Amino acid sequence: MKPKNKIEPWLFAAPALVIYVFIVILPILWSLTYSFTDWNGIGKLKFIGLDNYVKLFSDKTLWIAFKNNIFFMILGTVFQLLMGLVMAVLLSSISRGSNFLRVIYFIPCIVSSMAICKIFEKLLSVQPRGVLVAITDLLGFAPHAFLSEPDWALTFVTLIDGYKFCGLYMVIFYSAFMNVSKDVLESAHLDGCNWFQQLIYIKFPLIKNIFFMVLIILVNGCLKGFDVSYILTKGGPGNASELVSTYMYKTAFSMSKFGYGSTLGVFIMAESLIAVGIVQLIQKIAARKDE
Amino acid sequence: MDIGMNKLQAGTKTKITFYAVILVFVVLAGYPIFWVVMSSFKDTADMANLAPYQMPQKLYLGNYVTAFAGGKLARYFLNSVIVAACTLLGIVCAGSPAAFAIAKLKFRQSAGLLKFFLMGMMIPVFTCLIPMFQIYGALGLRNTYLSLIFPQIGFSLPMCIFLYVGFMQFVPNELMEAAAIDGASNWRIFLTMIFPMAKNSTVTVVIYNFVNIWNEFTYANTFMTDSKMKTLPVGLNDFVGEMGKRDWGGTFAAITVAILPTMIIYFVLNKQVMEGMAAGAVKS
Repeated sequence: MKPKNKIEPWLFAAPALVIYVFIVILPILWSLTYSFTDWNGIGKLKFIGLDNYVKLFSDKTLWIAFKNNIFFMILGTVFQLLMGLVMAVLLSSISRGSNFLRVIYFIPCIVSSMAICKIFEKLLSVQPRGVLVAITDLLGFAPHAFLSEPDWALTFVTLIDGYKFCGLYMVIFYSAFMNVSKDVLESAHLDGCNWFQQLIYIKFPLIKNIFFMVLIILVNGCLKGFDVSYILTKGGPGNASELVSTYMYKTAFSMSKFGYGSTLGVFIMAESLIAVGIVQLIQKIAARKDE
Repeated sequence: MDIGMNKLQAGTKTKITFYAVILVFVVLAGYPIFWVVMSSFKDTADMANLAPYQMPQKLYLGNYVTAFAGGKLARYFLNSVIVAACTLLGIVCAGSPAAFAIAKLKFRQSAGLLKFFLMGMMIPVFTCLIPMFQIYGALGLRNTYLSLIFPQIGFSLPMCIFLYVGFMQFVPNELMEAAAIDGASNWRIFLTMIFPMAKNSTVTVVIYNFVNIWNEFTYANTFMTDSKMKTLPVGLNDFVGEMGKRDWGGTFAAITVAILPTMIIYFVLNKQVMEGMAAGAVKS
């Protein structure tokens, strides 16, 4: 279609463009500027050059948070990928009841992380007794307050965060499996290919692109993980379940260090861009191997 | 050939194993939600005498009375509804015409404009949070609905435009050209023809964003400090904090009320919700 004149397309796009520029683009530039300052949010901006960026390297809490975030990313990605993939494989292999079971399995995805955290807080509570403690009591184990034990807090935060989204990846993989051509599977069956061989040699290779896409979503999402750690443990006990985003949030909004907080914000952006780049590189290498 | 055949060429034993494994995971996934709803019907005696995993003796509704007492929960609920409705309206009203221009009106910068919008998908909210906090503070927007509506429209637009463009580019030009010959302006064509045709995209955009907006925590926790303006997720935190130690029944009832709207929509439209959420995740 031809626009009436040169301005018309821009009139259609104007509302979105204005909102997008003011809400998303300008704050990034602003954030970059702040990251070169020492500023408590009220007084005058004091430009200190690269000092904040130099400080990143010697900031012990940041490196604890970064290490935790890598653990969070690896465990979270593996957990959600496996749960999603295994459930999709199983659910696409049964006929009766598959719809109903999928609907139930997906429920945690639509519940807010706040509600999920509050539910798990009670499930894992020791005093008064939650379900987990009641069960370990029955089995004769000592009760554990997992969320306040430094050795366990991060693992539980990761799994609870993962619990929320397994269903989403199940749905994505499920529809990918459903899109695998029936003709291909039928002829494979006629050639004597059993269920397992079909899965390994036909279905998995055909959904490889979806697999990498999910990997990118997961890696990217985990690096920005915030809600569960912030709500459930506030990054604690100590810094045991601190993530980069929770550290950034506290630095800015609890300690009023807006300059250094902005530097941490830039760090989060750089970190997720690099991680996505790495996954895409792996995908390219994997694709080249096939040729 | 039987269609059921290519679903599974495994024997009965394998099939039973599959069902068993699926059942275990489905029960694990559903249990926490079931548990909180079930526990919200326990009265004080049940709460004290029964093990936490036991079903209540009878259906007790008093916890809901406690939860709504004082009117705070109703206020949080209202705030959430207002924010969700305005944000969704904003996303669709701003996103769909922009997508129309990109997909259907020939102009030189259309591809560049699309790229510019899609760039937004890569940007973490945390990078923008501090400037937003400052700007909204300076403009007096903190503790107003606008401080939640604006950022959520802005960050949802890339995915919204992407979905609409994906649909609109396949609408045949001939249809629109015929209408144009009859004298319809591009605005008219968009409003009476293309937008209604894109109904499915609108449903996906609305569902995906509704679930996210209803559950949104970070902005609400940062920009809303006045307890009258809090939305359900943040309000729930205060609520559970106050009540959680002494009244678990009321706490469970409050959590149940908070998750009810998305649950109702989900049980009516589960297929669309699952597909919409998956489409949104894949695109963002």
